[in-house]
Amino acid sequence: MTDLLTRDRPAAGKRRGRVLPRALSTQEVVLIGVLVVLWILLGVFTPNFLSAQSIQPLLASAAPIALIGVGMTAVIVTAGIDISVASMLMVCAVVMAKLMVDSSWPVPLALLAGVVVGGLCGLLNGLLITIGGVHPIIITFGTSNIFMFIGWRIFDSKVVNGIPTSVAWFGRGADGRFLGVPHSFLLVIVVAAALWWYMRYTAGGRHFYAIGNDQHAARLVGIRVQKRTIIPYVLTGLLVGVAALVATANGTQTLAQSVGQGIELQAIAAVVIGGTSIVGGRGSVLGTLLGALLVQTVESGVIQLGWAPQLAKFFVGIAIIIAVGADLLQQRLTRRAS
Amino acid sequence: MSGKHAQALAPDTTLIAQTRPDETRAAALMRTLLTRRELMLVVLLVIMLVVLFGLSGAGVTSGPYNGVTLASNLINVVPLAMLALAEMIVILTGRGAIDLSVGSIVSLVSMAFGYMYGIWGMPLWASIIGAVLVGAVLGSVNGALVAFLGFPPLIATLATYYAYWSLAIVVNDQQPISSPEIQALYDTARSLPIFGESFPRIPAGVFLFLIPTVVVVWYLVSRHPLGRRLYAVGTNDVAAKWAGIDLARTRFTAFALSGAISGLVAVVTVGQFASARPDAGNAGSGMALPAITIAVLAGVAITGGIGRVSGVVIAALLVTWLNAGILLLFPGNHGTQYQLLALGVLLVGAALLNGYTNRKYHIIN
Repeated sequence: MTDLLTRDRPAAGKRRGRVLPRALSTQEVVLIGVLVVLWILLGVFTPNFLSAQSIQPLLASAAPIALIGVGMTAVIVTAGIDISVASMLMVCAVVMAKLMVDSSWPVPLALLAGVVVGGLCGLLNGLLITIGGVHPIIITFGTSNIFMFIGWRIFDSKVVNGIPTSVAWFGRGADGRFLGVPHSFLLVIVVAAALWWYMRYTAGGRHFYAIGNDQHAARLVGIRVQKRTIIPYVLTGLLVGVAALVATANGTQTLAQSVGQGIELQAIAAVVIGGTSIVGGRGSVLGTLLGALLVQTVESGVIQLGWAPQLAKFFVGIAIIIAVGADLLQQRLTRRAS
Repeated sequence: MSGKHAQALAPDTTLIAQTRPDETRAAALMRTLLTRRELMLVVLLVIMLVVLFGLSGAGVTSGPYNGVTLASNLINVVPLAMLALAEMIVILTGRGAIDLSVGSIVSLVSMAFGYMYGIWGMPLWASIIGAVLVGAVLGSVNGALVAFLGFPPLIATLATYYAYWSLAIVVNDQQPISSPEIQALYDTARSLPIFGESFPRIPAGVFLFLIPTVVVVWYLVSRHPLGRRLYAVGTNDVAAKWAGIDLARTRFTAFALSGAISGLVAVVTVGQFASARPDAGNAGSGMALPAITIAVLAGVAITGGIGRVSGVVIAALLVTWLNAGILLLFPGNHGTQYQLLALGVLLVGAALLNGYTNRKYHIIN
C-alpha cells in the first residue's frame, strides 16, 4: 500500500526542514548538460550551427513553444492538460491580423485584443473543466475543435495579407533584436522568470502544487480548488495570445491557416522533457524553458544536418521517453533508498 | 463503489428501468435515458435522421439525404468505429489510459502493408496478418512503456505518436506506395448489392473489416475473461490486484490490442485511398481525435471501467451520418468547418453529460 501512496511524489523528508525542492533539479542540470553537448556536436558536424544567423532564429522559433509551455507547466502541475492551445493560437493570430488589416485598428490595440481573446478561450476551458467536473483532456480536445472552427470561419478560407510591418518588433528580423537577442525570447525570459517566482515563492503558486498532488487534501486545508484550478488555464490562454503575436510577426506579412499547427504537442513535450510530472504536483518553469530549447534544437539541428525534417519528430519522441524514463528510474531509486 | 462494481459485473438487461417508489414516470424515463447511453444514442440518432430527412425533403440540402446516402457513408464508419473500439479497450483500463498514437500506427502500418503487399509481393492474406502483427508490436511498445515501466499513458503514446509518424514519413521518403496491386485493393472500398438491387448498396469494407472486428471485440470484452479483467482493473485496480489479476499484463494487452486493431484499420485506409500513404492516419487533425470523441460520446468513462461495444458502434454511426448531413447542408469548405464544430460540441456535451450522470446517479464513487 505504501508504494501506492508515495507513488509519483517527490521523496519527502529527505532533508529535514526543506519545504521547497532545490532551485535546480537533477533533471534540469542534466538537461543543461544535454543541450551543451548537442550544441557542441552540432557546431562540429554542421558548418554554421554555432553562428548568430543560426542561433537567433532558433531562439525566435523556440519562443512560442516556450511561452505556451510555461503556461502549460502551471496547468500540468495542477494535474490538468490543455490540448486546445494550437487551435487557440490560430484564433488569436487571425483575430489580431484581421483587426489590423481589415478593421485597421491601431497595432497595439489589435495585439492586445488577440491576447484578451486567448484569455477568454482559456477561461472557457477552465470553467468547463471545473464546473463540468470532466477530465481536462476530454474538454480541451472538444474545445480544440470548436476553436479551430471559429478560427477557420474568421479566416474565411483565405490567407490574411498585408500585416503591418510594425509587428516586426516581435519578429525574427533585425528589427526584432536587442543586443542580438530576439525580443520574443527576451519576453520568454521575463514571463518565465515571473511565473517561476510566482509558482515557487507565493502561496497562490504553491496551491497549484497542492491541487496537483491531492485535490481533496488541498480542499481540506482550505484552498478554493475550483477557483484556483481555473487560473492556470486562463494564464495559458493569455500566453497563447502572446505566442500568437510572435507567430503573426513571422516576417512575411502573411498569415496562413496552418499557423500554430502541432504546437500543442511541442509545448507538452517541452514541459515533460523539463521534468514536470504529467500526473501533477511536481515541476518547474525553468525545466520547461530548457525543454523548449531542446525541442527546437532538435528541429533546427536535423535540418542543418541535411536530414529529412520529419526525423525531428522521431527524436522528440525519443527525448520524451528518455526524459520521463530517467525521472521514473530516479523516483524508483529514491523510493528504494528510503 | 459497490454499486458500480455490481453494474460492471452484471449489466442490467432490462430495457426500461423500473420506476422507483419515490420518483415520477418522467424522472424514471430521464434516469433510464441518462444511465443507458445506448438507448439515448438511439433516440438521438432517430431524431437526427428524422430532422435530416425532413430538411432533405424540404429541399434545404444541396443533394438528397436518403437511404443511399446513409449506405454509402458507411464506408467512413469502418475506420472510425474500429479505432473507437481500440480506444475503448484502452480507456477501460482506467488511470487516465488513452492512446494518442492510433493515427500514427495507422500511418506507419499503411507503409508497412504497402511494402509487404505492393513491393515485396507477399500474398494478400499474409500481408493483412503482417499488418495486424506490426500494429500489435507498435501497440506493445506503448503497452510495455505503460504497464512494465510505469510511464503515464498520455506521455508514452504522445512519444510514440511522434516517433511512428516520423518513421512513416521517412521510411519511403514521403512518397506513397501505389503499385498496381495496391490500386486493385480499391475493390474492398466498393459497394455491393448485398440485399439485392432494390436496396442501397453497402460498402464491402463493412463486411470485410468492421463486422468481424466488432464481433471479435464484443466477444473479448463481454464474453472472455480478458474483458472481465479489463473492467475490473479500470473499476478499481487495487481491488483487482487483491483479486489476483495481473495488472501489468492486462494493461499491456489492452495497448497491444489497440495497436492490432489500428493495424487492420491501416489496411482499410490503403484500400480506400488505393494507395499506402505516409500520412494516412495523421492528415488533418489526425484519426485519434475523432476516435476518442466517439468513445466518449458512447459513454466510455475516461476514469475507466465503463463502456460498451454497442454504444461505440451507435456513436460512430451517429457521428458519420451527422457529418454526411452537414456536408449536404453547408457545401464546400463550410461543410468541413461545421463538421469540426459538431464534433467539438458533441464531445464537450457528451463529457459534461457523463459527468452530470455520474454525479446524479452515483455511477462512479
